[in-house]
Amino acid sequence: MKANNTLMRADRSASLLWRRHMCDKLATAMSWLGMLIVVFMLGSILWTLFKNGLAGMSVHLFTMSMAAPGQPGGLANAIMGSIIQTGLAILIGAPAGLMTGIYLAEYGTTSRMARIVRFVSDMLLSAPSILIGLFIYMMLVVPFGHFSGLSGAVALAILAMPIVVRTTEDMLRLVPVAMREAGIALGAPKWRVILFICVRAVRAGIMTGVLLAIARVAGETAPLLFTSLGNSEWSLDLGRPMASLPVAIYQYAGSAYQDWMQQAWTGALLVTLGVLIINIVVRVGTRGGRS
Amino acid sequence: MSVEVPVKATGMTQPLDSTAASKDTPHPVAMQVKGLNFYYGTSHALHDISLDFPERSVTGMIGPSGCGKSTLLRVLNRMYDLYPGQRATGEVIFDKQNILNSGVDLNVLRSRIGMVFQKPTPFPMSIYDNIAFGIRLHERVSRSEMDGRVEDALRRVALWPEVQDRLSASATALSGGQQQRLCIARTIAVRPEVILLDEPTSALDPVSTARIEELLDELKTEFTIAIVTHNMQQAARCADQVAFFYMGRLIEVDSTARMFTTPREQQTQDYITGRFG
Repeated sequence: MKANNTLMRADRSASLLWRRHMCDKLATAMSWLGMLIVVFMLGSILWTLFKNGLAGMSVHLFTMSMAAPGQPGGLANAIMGSIIQTGLAILIGAPAGLMTGIYLAEYGTTSRMARIVRFVSDMLLSAPSILIGLFIYMMLVVPFGHFSGLSGAVALAILAMPIVVRTTEDMLRLVPVAMREAGIALGAPKWRVILFICVRAVRAGIMTGVLLAIARVAGETAPLLFTSLGNSEWSLDLGRPMASLPVAIYQYAGSAYQDWMQQAWTGALLVTLGVLIINIVVRVGTRGGRS
Repeated sequence: MSVEVPVKATGMTQPLDSTAASKDTPHPVAMQVKGLNFYYGTSHALHDISLDFPERSVTGMIGPSGCGKSTLLRVLNRMYDLYPGQRATGEVIFDKQNILNSGVDLNVLRSRIGMVFQKPTPFPMSIYDNIAFGIRLHERVSRSEMDGRVEDALRRVALWPEVQDRLSASATALSGGQQQRLCIARTIAVRPEVILLDEPTSALDPVSTARIEELLDELKTEFTIAIVTHNMQQAARCADQVAFFYMGRLIEVDSTARMFTTPREQQTQDYITGRFG
């Protein structure tokens, strides 16, 4: 600012400089404002969750299954159900998404098939999750005649897949041509160059995509309502209805019972903390390029 | 090592003498280009090129930007195959075969004809694995043998003393010059017969450049080398024969000494004296 005035040359327009200076200030201020709004909202959500959720934290929450209002109960079955269904969803969705992303970036590229796959994947990315739930309901619940944890996991997998597809493709496109050519020049077949050089080069980015997918599906309620349904009993059987935190929160939060509502808050806090912890762990784990 | 650098970087006469000596004992031809034409889609990039690459010597390829020298290099290991729309006609004879034939196994071909690029391209893995990657592609070797091969390759490019304590560190953490030497080590570890270098020093500082040039002198005792360079001093220092390209045509090829003292073509004369390009 000081430099502007003291170093001003007579033949340069002072008003132009001033205008640029003001534009710069304005843009910076807007960025800050935007950032503050987002941080405020996030902070507000976290604060509310902690304020209302911490009170319900107890050993019972993790050791006891859901119970009727007024009875001693916890969320153990819902926590376990969420872990199982989310985990299985990622086990199905992430490899499928990774392979699709590799196809789009490396093999299909601009072919008709690739354009269709890309379009469908992007559609899925923004499809209402309840539609996915209904779809799996028709595919895996109606034919078997009962709700199941497996169908819940598949519904979540379909939600997770397009996120992994998009990040994988975007990341692979960032790999410099020179690096691919260097691999090819050593006599490596294309698939080895892709798997051991290109994917390796962007593995942190792809992991971020998988993380985003976990974060997205771990909190999904709608697709589970028609698939795994929820279960108040402790159950690890994928062939039967399975509890999950989001569905438990949905059920409890809408109830009129004080202890259920408290557990809904605590459950929401747990989901948020879980996603946060996974994020931090993977970020620390993939930091740096060490093999 | 850095003490030798200024001498090497400015001394043009010494390598010229050595080329004159090697001219007396002609090398057999390792690779022979005959009537080669190359097209990027419909654009005709190389016109009827015929050029011999003598075994265990350095062929320098010079010419202004866009003259086709890099294109020719990328024909020699069929790198252009990666891109649909690029095609070559004519012959490139290597080991009694025309490598432009469709039946050629490209992975085997590229293991015998290595390539080093303009920008260092370390793979996103450890220094050790960068070297081992290429070896594993073509050979099954025991752990101890692999250790030996990696060490040998790194010693050949004089990188061993600098990295022996951190072989498991990421290769991307090396300096640009070290990365380029690693890329050369990676290439020779596969034990090719021919090494193609596409402006290998244009992204490097003078000290790193001098080290790579020294390295070429050693490597040519074992490998046939083709180097594309924008730097005429580099061609004069490193090459045994020099080929001058202009607008997709091979204008002239001769021993380095004759090329830089008594070129036959006016265009060559103009280019090497800096009148254009």
